Amino acid sequence: MKITRRNFIAAVVGGVAGIQATPLPWKFTDDVAIWTQNWPWVPVPATGEFTDVSSVCNLCPGGCGIAVRKVDERAIKIEGRTDYPVNPGGICPVGMGGLQLLYDESLRFTGPMKRVGLRGAGQFKEISWGEAFDIVAGRISNLRKKGTPEAIAAVDGNPEGTTVSVLIKRLMRAMGSPNYVRPPSINDTYRMGNLLMQGTLAPMAYDLENSDYVLSFGAGLLEGWGAPGRVMNAWGMWHDGNPAKRKTRIVQVESRASNTASKADMWVAPRPGTDGALALGIAHVIIKSGQYDSRFIADHSFGFEDWRSLEGVNHTGFKTLVLEKYSPEQVAEITGVNPKTIVSLAKGFVSAKTPVAVYGKGKDNLNGSLYEFMAVQNLNALKGSINRSGGVLLPDPIPLSDLPLLEVDAIASKGLKTPRLDQAGTMRYPFTDSLINNFTDAINRDSKSPVDTLLVFSANPFFTLPDGGGFKKALEKIPFIVSFSPYRDETANMADLILPDSTYLEKVDDIVWPTGLQYPLYGLSKPVVEPLYNTKNSGDTVIELSRAIDDSVGSGFPWENFEEVLQTRAKGLFDAGGGLVSYDPDAPAWQRQTAGNGPKPEYESFDEMWEGIQSEGMWYRPVSSPRSWKGLFNTPSGKFEFSSKLIAQAIENYSNKISKKAALKNMGLAATEDEVCMAHYEAPKAGADLSAYPLKMLPYEMINLASGWIPSPPFLYKTIFENQLLKDKSFAAINPKTAAKYHLEEGELVAVKSPAGEVQVRVNLSEGAMPGIVYLPLGFGHTAYDEFLKGKGVNPNNIVQAGQDPISGYPVWWNTPVKLIKV
Amino acid sequence: MDSPLLPHGVKRCSTWAFFFWTLPWLALLAWGGLSAFLCLWKGLNQTNMSNIFAFALWIVFDLAIIALGAGAFFTGFLTYVMGQKELKNIIKPAVIIGFICYSGAMAMLGIDIGQPIRGWFIFWHANIHSMLVEVSFCITCYLMVLAIEFIPIILENRKLEEIKELRIFGHNLHEIMAVFAATGTFLSFFHQGSLGGMFGVMYARPFAAREGFYIWPWTFFLFVLSAIAVGPCFTILCTKLTEFFTRKKLVPDSAIQLLAKISAWLLSLYMVLKIFDYLGWMYGIVPRSGLTFESFFREGPYGVYLIVAEMVFCGILPAIILMTPKARQNQGLLIIACLLNCTGIVLNRFLFIIVTLAIPVMPFDRFWGYLPTWQEWGIGMAVVGYGFLVFSAAYRYLPIFPKERELNPITE
Amino acid sequence: MKKANDHGKFKYGMVIDIDKCTGCGTCMVACAAENNVAVRADQSDKERTITWMRLYKISNGKEFPKAEVSYFPRPCMHCDHHPPCVSVCVATATKLDFNTGIVSQIYTRCIGCRYCQAACPYGARYFNWWDVFPQDKGMDRYLTPEVSPRMRGVVEKCTFCHQRLMRAKTLAYAEDRREIEEGEYVTACAEACPAQAITFGDLNNPEHEVSKLIKHPFTFRLLERIGTEPKVYYHSNRDWIRKLGDNFLPGEYTPVVNKSWAEEEWSTKPGRDEF
Repeated sequence: MKITRRNFIAAVVGGVAGIQATPLPWKFTDDVAIWTQNWPWVPVPATGEFTDVSSVCNLCPGGCGIAVRKVDERAIKIEGRTDYPVNPGGICPVGMGGLQLLYDESLRFTGPMKRVGLRGAGQFKEISWGEAFDIVAGRISNLRKKGTPEAIAAVDGNPEGTTVSVLIKRLMRAMGSPNYVRPPSINDTYRMGNLLMQGTLAPMAYDLENSDYVLSFGAGLLEGWGAPGRVMNAWGMWHDGNPAKRKTRIVQVESRASNTASKADMWVAPRPGTDGALALGIAHVIIKSGQYDSRFIADHSFGFEDWRSLEGVNHTGFKTLVLEKYSPEQVAEITGVNPKTIVSLAKGFVSAKTPVAVYGKGKDNLNGSLYEFMAVQNLNALKGSINRSGGVLLPDPIPLSDLPLLEVDAIASKGLKTPRLDQAGTMRYPFTDSLINNFTDAINRDSKSPVDTLLVFSANPFFTLPDGGGFKKALEKIPFIVSFSPYRDETANMADLILPDSTYLEKVDDIVWPTGLQYPLYGLSKPVVEPLYNTKNSGDTVIELSRAIDDSVGSGFPWENFEEVLQTRAKGLFDAGGGLVSYDPDAPAWQRQTAGNGPKPEYESFDEMWEGIQSEGMWYRPVSSPRSWKGLFNTPSGKFEFSSKLIAQAIENYSNKISKKAALKNMGLAATEDEVCMAHYEAPKAGADLSAYPLKMLPYEMINLASGWIPSPPFLYKTIFENQLLKDKSFAAINPKTAAKYHLEEGELVAVKSPAGEVQVRVNLSEGAMPGIVYLPLGFGHTAYDEFLKGKGVNPNNIVQAGQDPISGYPVWWNTPVKLIKV
Repeated sequence: MDSPLLPHGVKRCSTWAFFFWTLPWLALLAWGGLSAFLCLWKGLNQTNMSNIFAFALWIVFDLAIIALGAGAFFTGFLTYVMGQKELKNIIKPAVIIGFICYSGAMAMLGIDIGQPIRGWFIFWHANIHSMLVEVSFCITCYLMVLAIEFIPIILENRKLEEIKELRIFGHNLHEIMAVFAATGTFLSFFHQGSLGGMFGVMYARPFAAREGFYIWPWTFFLFVLSAIAVGPCFTILCTKLTEFFTRKKLVPDSAIQLLAKISAWLLSLYMVLKIFDYLGWMYGIVPRSGLTFESFFREGPYGVYLIVAEMVFCGILPAIILMTPKARQNQGLLIIACLLNCTGIVLNRFLFIIVTLAIPVMPFDRFWGYLPTWQEWGIGMAVVGYGFLVFSAAYRYLPIFPKERELNPITE
Repeated sequence: MKKANDHGKFKYGMVIDIDKCTGCGTCMVACAAENNVAVRADQSDKERTITWMRLYKISNGKEFPKAEVSYFPRPCMHCDHHPPCVSVCVATATKLDFNTGIVSQIYTRCIGCRYCQAACPYGARYFNWWDVFPQDKGMDRYLTPEVSPRMRGVVEKCTFCHQRLMRAKTLAYAEDRREIEEGEYVTACAEACPAQAITFGDLNNPEHEVSKLIKHPFTFRLLERIGTEPKVYYHSNRDWIRKLGDNFLPGEYTPVVNKSWAEEEWSTKPGRDEF
């Protein structure tokens, strides 16, 4: 047939019409619909065998038990363990989002790296581990050869007492540098307070679960204080749906309506930094009414009544001090709290059966004030809540073995004799281990940095230190910085060399006594997945580095690997006798501890115990209470000291060297005489012209935002409210009355300016904010990491102007004078 | 150039003038084309719609033009079913306006849904309980009816008429137009109603929820009534606009006045019922939900002024003007009244869509505000451009105004 | 038509104790992690970010220092009577399962018209405005195969972790049981809550804890009077919180006073103790 125009058209039209009669159009439509369900860029997660791996969360010192759900080799979900003593099932939001910290590649270092860009730019080139060790070991051995090992410094953010921290300390000693510093923590304040008042070295042990009246001075019980899984579980128990079953009352002392304050049965809001005065006011009411535990005071305390020394000098006791200076009216003047409230607090506290006064400052990431701690602890003593169930327990330190004595060589011993840059442990700061703010100042003071090589472990001081950006300046001056961080944090971005750690889900590590827990617990986290990248457990890195430096340093580290060190220390747990390596949810550890004698060990040999620890991730020993009073307090008086003899001694020692007046001044004390040995209130120095800076800025912490060295998992930003962060601006919570004075409205941009710096935020009018205070959230304002975290909000640490806490020397980060400038 | 295509015996501007006239509308179409491409390619994140404003500008546009396009079915109904011969003079533009509105709305809906390729699921997996399914079925069918009604008009083109088969086809189609007009009326009644029903059935949104008759909330009937009240006015406006641009009288006043009078009665009836509706709602559903009328306007950009504007300035006022023979015979007042009427109905749709969504139901939630992006405006404006183009072309090439020759005899 | 879902065998629901709730947000994170919920760089855009479980911050409206904040965790309410979203869905992509009481969502059938979002007064439905995940960051490695990631342009919502019900059932069948025990099927949020504020179970089973808790006079639901019959209940001793659970005309709200629950004076006073 000839193809004409006509029959061509006919064929086409007929064809098209014919196709309509076939299933083709239907098939095609269906295919298209299926295609929309299988877009190639929509991930299809591979399936496989489902398993659960039990481990322990190591993102904060809380050490909650976690069960990680896996599909073949992939971890897909973190859940809380119900068979772990710390947290019966729940964990905090940071821990819940942990997989993002493992799998978000742009948060992490994928192998050892050398800086190629400018400092802070975050540009690195991957190198081999051998190369990395050569560079850092070469540098260190050069310093040692020059005889200046003290120019090596380390910042170690691993919690005190953990094995990796012990190794780092040991490495510093072996190399010959005294300059081992730690970022501040509430545990520093606890440790010092316990030492001075009770002579104990064990961590703070609050028996919250058994208490019927929790009087919390600033501890962010719901903001992430202690082990969040534990505290929030206790919170759930305290708030049984049936009011008849509710036995415990919670009182929160804090200037802001935080979650804890709002959810507590009562909220008392003193001015920031006056918690100690409030505690003393409560003590006044208790003492005056005579409702204190006179037996405990008489038998187990020192310094309550006025006393006469062996030399025949009369001394003022706590009772006189408090009765004289801290009447409810006087305290109301300082704190702004109604005298009636103070009286009712005292009534509530003494009429409870097993009350406990808890001291804290938000989470445990930052230090507190020594005298505040003492004032709060005095309340526990007055009520006899020390060494009593439901109060403050006095367990022994965790019985981990010491590592074999380290023999240092001549270079090191010379280096170790040089004074610490931070002056910690000197006569000026006699009880302090580490003062990172002083360390920073020492570097920034002179034109040349006294530190040549800085090693940073598990810390991000650039971001977390409340120092007005001081550490950043110090980093700029330090010639060589080595970071061991697994994450691309701000400090790591300033480093010249990265020896990346594995994340907590890829390595074995230990947790030594979660903050605030009332019984000793040793947790062991294990690799949930094989390391994804070319990273190395910092414990192993330290051992290998020691050998790479020189034989003399290396000889102090005779272990094959980090796990061997862990086992070496764990021997002590076995030798100590009783201990449990498994947990029965029906017999909570906090209940068992009241049951009398310690538990029978569940194992017969060390290997059996270690196996148990490895598989269950725990060793713990519910302590019996009360313990025998004999030898319980290791203070000079052998008793609980209302008036610390160690402080008196330290001041005397210092006064012998310089004048007493100068000594007191250097130690930051305004008080004189006996008052300095006891809890008392001293108004912190203003540090600025208050007429120019009429307001105060107080950083606050939130449980749903990581404010420490760990980045926040991106999931957490779903939980942040739009009046806390909006696009790239974070908010300052300001009382509407204060805001009105500056004509500020909700959402308006404002500059918060302190003598240390300025940040721009939006205004959130909040009735939960105390008038006159500007509250800035901690955890925003990252300049590192990836698009999820970078450039969101501001970091209040950048404008903190911190004075020094008397005696301890820790930064007073809650007292920054600021002004508001409308933008 | 295109003179062989122009209708006999009428005057049209030069091809070039027509070309320049189309340029702004083509520009709007291009803007819309770019917006549509972005929305389809990158997704609806190109808009400012959100989980709060799940329905937004486009749905307001859709509902507005569907209401305004109701002139087509209602004029058809009056002309063919009720036998109002006078309206033959205006039925063709009415049908074209209807076609433009409905096809424009369908195109917008295609972009508005998140998965356009799955659009046919509405028919395949239809949920008969959903008012939106009723809307979709009726609109789709009615668009076909409109297309059928449009065909004979197109076939009246001078060149097409020369083809014998087409002429006969067109003529026969014309003969049975009453059937289609009736079908269209039936379909339109249901989708105009179910568009209203869509909002009335949202019983968990007290601002929109209405009680009603059997399965239909009052909004069902109010939407039908308001659509047929506004449709004729919009047809009048479009005609007047064409007369303004062509500087010619195209439709005899009698037809216009008849439409205006019908509209006046319907609008008045609608206003009475709407007042009852508001009162019933304010004293029924609202307090039963624990709310007060004022509580809806406690915060946010949308206030009571919208309802005052809807009811008084754009409802009662145009109703009075259109009811008064003297007033509606005044060209200026007639146009103002038609404009106000149209605005009132658009406001009504705006209230049901945007304001409903802006008002939180949970007492601790907040009020919201919404501003469209340029992409959203682009799609909306494209429909305007499309309307002008199609209508201009129809006017130029088709004898859509039967009385044009009579009213504008060519003198030279 | 006004009949509640009582002909099904199971009726899963939850009770959230607001007094126990600490506002920590773990439920939100657990939910997102369990259900492969998308994450975006800017999640402060609360109008478009996806949070099947969402915390609402509420305040008692008093001045400092009497101000208090609290939180309403808001999953999908799984309305039991004529869920507003189900009847409006054009493509039958969402359904109330009468056997479980769960309101489901079929992502592959949803056309993205968002009518359900407009109809839901709880804001529990979320549209995928963007393609799923940031690519090339390795974040797809934590996705669970039990829940399919969603494509752009569809609506998603809380499913009461339906995959967990499947998991529990599979386990029960493997052990030759026909029924699952209380506690075998709980949602990710209930399991994750560190304060045990969320109780989950079968409301049709009088033995289940949830069935007991909902009888408590301090237990209430959100927007109860609209008549959606949510299967998510809340509990609080504080009057101002209960009052925020629904809309009330002035004078309509009466504080709950129930002698049997008010044995201890301090804990049952309306609101918090005043000192």
